[in-house]
Amino acid sequence: MRLLIVEDDPKLADFVARGLRAERFAVDIARDGLEGQRHLDSYQYDLLILDLMLPGLSGSELLRQVRATRPTLPVLVLTARDATQDKVEHFEAGADDYLTKPFDFAELVVRVKALMRRTPVERTDVLRIADLELSRLTQQVRRAGQRIELTAKEFAVLEYLMSSVGRVFSRTMILEHVWDQSFEGVTNIVDVYVRYLRRKIDEPFPVQLIHTVRGVGYCIREADQVRDPGQE
Amino acid sequence: MNHRSLAFRLSVWYALVLSATFALVGGAMSYGLEQYLRANLRDSLRRRSIQVQQILAQAPAGVADAAVAEAIETRVAPEFNNRFVRVTRAPQIPAYSAGAPADQSFDPAAVPRQTEPWPATALVRQMATASGPMLMSLSTVDGASGKYLIELGSALGPIEALQHRLLSLLALMLPVLVACAAGGGYLLVQRALQPVERMARTAERISVQDLEARLPVAATGDALQRLSTSLNHMLNRLRDSVFNSHRFLADASHELRTPLTIIKGELQQLMTRQSGGAVGERIGDVLEEVARLEHLVSGLLVLSRLDAGDARREWADVDLGRLAAGTVEHMRLVADDRGVRLQVSAPAPVTVCGDARRLKQVIVNLLDNAIKFTPPGGVVGLTTRQLDGGVLLEVSDSGIGISPESLPHVFDRFYRVDGTRSRDDGGAGLGLAIVRSICSAHGAEIEVESTPGTGSRFRVKFPQPAQAALAAETSSAAARL
Repeated sequence: MRLLIVEDDPKLADFVARGLRAERFAVDIARDGLEGQRHLDSYQYDLLILDLMLPGLSGSELLRQVRATRPTLPVLVLTARDATQDKVEHFEAGADDYLTKPFDFAELVVRVKALMRRTPVERTDVLRIADLELSRLTQQVRRAGQRIELTAKEFAVLEYLMSSVGRVFSRTMILEHVWDQSFEGVTNIVDVYVRYLRRKIDEPFPVQLIHTVRGVGYCIREADQVRDPGQE
Repeated sequence: MNHRSLAFRLSVWYALVLSATFALVGGAMSYGLEQYLRANLRDSLRRRSIQVQQILAQAPAGVADAAVAEAIETRVAPEFNNRFVRVTRAPQIPAYSAGAPADQSFDPAAVPRQTEPWPATALVRQMATASGPMLMSLSTVDGASGKYLIELGSALGPIEALQHRLLSLLALMLPVLVACAAGGGYLLVQRALQPVERMARTAERISVQDLEARLPVAATGDALQRLSTSLNHMLNRLRDSVFNSHRFLADASHELRTPLTIIKGELQQLMTRQSGGAVGERIGDVLEEVARLEHLVSGLLVLSRLDAGDARREWADVDLGRLAAGTVEHMRLVADDRGVRLQVSAPAPVTVCGDARRLKQVIVNLLDNAIKFTPPGGVVGLTTRQLDGGVLLEVSDSGIGISPESLPHVFDRFYRVDGTRSRDDGGAGLGLAIVRSICSAHGAEIEVESTPGTGSRFRVKFPQPAQAALAAETSSAAARL
């Protein structure tokens, strides 16, 4: 799987590239729109990650050209502008997804994978980790065969964490998935819900499943199941 | 009528000056007329008495008084000319006395006789008689039959009457004239002030959110035109400066985003690999600060977009009551966790026109603020209610309250009530500033009252949405049909 990043900030480009290479993608970097155009003409890419504010040929212009020549290439737009109007314009110009800076790298990976259909949208009815079981159909949670009552929000948080076992979800990702951006400023709303969730699914049992990654967020995993993308 | 208005005051001054001028001119006119008529009368009396002197001087000695009288009657005709004539021969022998005047302006019998000694030279003087003041000319002449005294006079009454009529005419016309002039003046001044009125109306519509409107330039070529053009120039400079400061805020928060992404991303990757241990601990500390910085930058961006008028893009009718009730449910656990009770009163649907996402932000920020500053066991209340011509959103708490010195500043950007208050919760001091910006973008007024130790109350009053009012009107009209 080959990716092209068109981004004029070298550090950001390097950081994204490094992270994605660790996820086993082949990554090329172009520093401006024209270089991006040359790369696109020379190689077959499976995905384009595009910054909109570029010197020379602007990201929006490049996006239009890409859409004219390669209508099926998935494009993920990185932007510092997150007004709704801007987002609408990006979609109209042919972007498949967008990510607003500052973004969590974990979220970038999730979106890249979704766009490349490497991880098809799995709608497994029952999610499992260790002795914890979550049924999307019946909205029921059991641990060690014991039924656990959760509120709707607690269920949503747990379902999100269990959707990718071992992956660290940032507070922002959880907030945007379960609530919406309006609650961004609210004092530790995610922490409060995770604490209540822990009380119900972790505390009564000997093994802890929900782990805090300080400064990053939360993940659900069995004791030593640290997911290090570099060693995968 | 506004008693302090320029038009009113100008008219009053105008009327006062006009009345004074009018009174002065009237007085001068009446005085001049009197002097002129008196001089005329004096002249005429002198000429008549010379005529009588000639008759007496030319009369032969021993002529009968009757003949003299006839001559005087014929040549002077005192009764017809409304003159008093009396001739006395020395010593005090009445020689002739004219009858009552045709206009009955005096009674000849009431005129007192001149006693001896007679004046040596001719003189004219005013004399009071029983039938009013008279101007009398006295002169003597030596005739063939001896020395004669000629008393010739005329009543001053007609002159006074004329003067009176003039004055009363003026007195009658003065109020009418002044009233007309003052009324006309008022209308003229109002008309002259109309461009100013239009400028004021336009100026009222200009706010920091909308600095595009310009005052109508009154093409009068005078101070008024200069005023409107220089005010417009000032507005241009103001708009540029506001635009630049908004631009700076927007650019600054934009530019911070890329480095923030890198810092956060690098640290997060480090952290996922190396959680735990002293290094992990440090990285966690830094990441928490990064999260705060991120929160701050996104707050600044929200503010800069509100400054740029962005909130007006996606307006629709929003049921504020439902929005509030829904938002409270999301916040309930946070309040429970702190031991704060949430009370909601959002009975009937209340509609406001606005951007639902932003309105939700207002509710979230106000609730979060209230919960944050309310100690365990306290109560936070949220009320939405229909008012006359508006919708009220109220968030009250039984928290620590805000001191009177801090109260006017709570909506200022980066304002913290005191250093210790919001240090530990990572608040940047932008939450209430964002609330105020959103409110003003929606034309809503926000106010806060607070008693330290008892609690605070934030009240947001939204204007009645025009569409909602219109819809209500049409539906009630449909119901009547």
